Amino acid sequence: MKAAAALLVSEWCASQRAVLGQPLAPAAKGNSPKVIVVACGGVRRFETFQEKGLVNIPHLFGELLPQSLFFPYIRNAGVTSHYNTISSILTGAWQRIDDWGKTAPENPTVFEYLRKDLRTPQADTWLISSNKALTAQIGASSVRDYGPKFGANVIFPKQLLINAIVNAAAQGRADHSAERAAMQPEIEAMLAADNYEGLGWSVFGGASALDAPTRASVSQAIQDLVTTNAPVTGDEFTLLVSLEILRRFAPSLLVITFSDVEVAHFGSYSMHLAGIRTMDRLVHELWNEVQSNPSYREKTTLFVLPEFGRDLDGSVTNGFFNHRFDNDATRLTWLMCLGAAAKRGDVVERPIQHIDLCPTIAEMFGLKAAQAQGTSIPEIRI
Amino acid sequence: MTSPQNPARVKEAPNLAAWRETIARLPLTLRPILNQQLGEWDTLFPFEQNKFRGFLDGVNSFTPLELDVLTERLRKLELQMDVRHWKFSEASNTMENAAELARSEYYRQWRLEIQRINDAVDARTLQIASKEPQRKRLIVVILPRQLPVDAHTAWEHWKARGDGIRIAGGAEEFSDLLVKGGPGQPGIAEILTRDASCDPEDLWLIDSGARLNMLLPSAFSHAASLSYSALKPLRDSFLAGLNTMPKSISSAVEIMASLAKKDWTPWFPPELAGQKRLQRFVIDLFLSGNGALIFSNAFVEWAASEAMRRARPRVLVARFGMRSKPKPFTSIAIFENQEKVSTVPDVDDPANSAIDAAILAHYIWLAAGRYPEYEQSVCLCISGSLDSAWMIAPPELGLDHSTGSLSGDRLYDTIEKWITT
Repeated sequence: MKAAAALLVSEWCASQRAVLGQPLAPAAKGNSPKVIVVACGGVRRFETFQEKGLVNIPHLFGELLPQSLFFPYIRNAGVTSHYNTISSILTGAWQRIDDWGKTAPENPTVFEYLRKDLRTPQADTWLISSNKALTAQIGASSVRDYGPKFGANVIFPKQLLINAIVNAAAQGRADHSAERAAMQPEIEAMLAADNYEGLGWSVFGGASALDAPTRASVSQAIQDLVTTNAPVTGDEFTLLVSLEILRRFAPSLLVITFSDVEVAHFGSYSMHLAGIRTMDRLVHELWNEVQSNPSYREKTTLFVLPEFGRDLDGSVTNGFFNHRFDNDATRLTWLMCLGAAAKRGDVVERPIQHIDLCPTIAEMFGLKAAQAQGTSIPEIRI
Repeated sequence: MTSPQNPARVKEAPNLAAWRETIARLPLTLRPILNQQLGEWDTLFPFEQNKFRGFLDGVNSFTPLELDVLTERLRKLELQMDVRHWKFSEASNTMENAAELARSEYYRQWRLEIQRINDAVDARTLQIASKEPQRKRLIVVILPRQLPVDAHTAWEHWKARGDGIRIAGGAEEFSDLLVKGGPGQPGIAEILTRDASCDPEDLWLIDSGARLNMLLPSAFSHAASLSYSALKPLRDSFLAGLNTMPKSISSAVEIMASLAKKDWTPWFPPELAGQKRLQRFVIDLFLSGNGALIFSNAFVEWAASEAMRRARPRVLVARFGMRSKPKPFTSIAIFENQEKVSTVPDVDDPANSAIDAAILAHYIWLAAGRYPEYEQSVCLCISGSLDSAWMIAPPELGLDHSTGSLSGDRLYDTIEKWITT
């Protein structure tokens, strides 16, 4: 699976050279800050940072909390759908747009502030998402003077796997072969295709056909993916792609959204809890990578937060299945801040909001998020 | 219980034209659900039909001036929300309606206004309607023996109310007795028929497998009995239809509408043949999501919750079951037919099925708690693996279980008496 993640990033490299003709390394170097934001879907406080939930987050609670600046109360006062929430986090303004990503955010994203004001290349800002509810529109706003020319690279690694699985099932191939092997020709076919829009990639433009060497490495990597016996979750694949991005591009700003926990929509509480434990493990792996990667060590700030909670047990919206009930179980969650901007471990009980993150990150880069409604969090400082 | 609908609960014929006029007097955002119910009148349960009539009677009891005053704030809100310029359906509750409302900055105020108006109309309805006697009800939730419920945490969701009891003779055997009956002990369906006002939808059996339907004596096959496993052909066909849905809300609305209208009759199991209300209920259940198409235990919980919301059964028996372990790609393509996605054989996942069933069993009781009709209810959650149960009962039940143990016969007698008086 690692090889598959690596090849996806390799493809990006190849196409980027051809399409943009820009250097791959980001402009921001030296001691400039690095920021990583992990949004981990809908997770209630009850299943995480409350007494009975701690068992689900051994890494976050046992290892990362003591070294973090922790905000136990962060409120999502906007629309508690994925697209609107991620847009609100990125823009610092509550977004009330189409839930399924048909339109771009209506205020500039933190990606755009960063790229416009610091004149960094696109490879310096990334959004990598497991979530099917997002679209490539999330990477840049519809605001004149900002927009896609200052937007982030947006990729949806999980979509690649989903499409492969769906295609294999639709064509009946999975009925006659081992389940992983059945995916191989499908993934290869998609990687060889001319247009990646169907997979949600916004980085390729129209010229994305692979050259022969890249395709060969693709085949090898897929072979590795399908012959491993490790269970595959969308979030694990998303993290692997994210780690490849970190190693190859060392972007200044990387936003990752996980979504294994969203299996809750289908009513399996045990699988939802497994999603939380996966997220806990993956955040820990990500933090370890930050510590060992010279481009990131000692200058990186990592934010981890749920997008929202989930509905209260007994609510008319069927409790943990959904996240649309107007209640603290759904709106109130937590934020963990680790690294350079969290100088000492502490708990800040003052309530903050999701829209405070964008101006806080902008300020870390010496910028002002002029159109944000939120306010910079004073405890978080480089 | 022997006829599809008891005449005693059929009120006067619907006056559709007059009702449409009444609905048209209401603010825009109140109309979709009422118009939708009118359009589906023949497949509404008696409780829904009576509630609909009661609501419109309540509305009509307001003078035009009173109604204007009552709805003025909502109409102003709708202007501020600019509802007239939305793609807002008055004919039915659509996904698009819900999405538009939810992302309005006035959503919270809108909900409060809707609640205020509903409360005012309900208060009027109560004044003018004849008061129905409070009926005693029973909810039985079964976690069968193959689900290894953790003895230390089994009842942690329930502790706010009720007590744990042991049922001598076996907890699961007791639930079988209740449904099937035994020598000199009629099953629950027969017990209910002693009440002349009983409707078929007064007894619901909802099962992840097919056991409850198998236990139900054939003479009472009109009871509302839904089996997740028996619905497999329908589920597979429905899932295939849903998976043609592209990721855009306009397509989703169109596909959902076409799935709602499609004739699914050939895919229903024999026990639901000719039962139009129940068939419609199942389709509505699948369209409303909540995992009812994907996981058997989610189906049981959501069907039970919806049955109580829409039909207010006097007796509801819900039986959870086993789900398979996730396959390597399950979490990535959960909305796909897992048999087609993977040829890896299904393997039972007892421990995690028990975790799922334990919380969902409690959700059924919480759903009942939303409705005043269930204030006089006995609830039994039975664990086969622990051979014990959690019982919530009002004092009127008069059952002394202070020793923590009861004989099955005594519990049966008490419940029979409870339901029939």
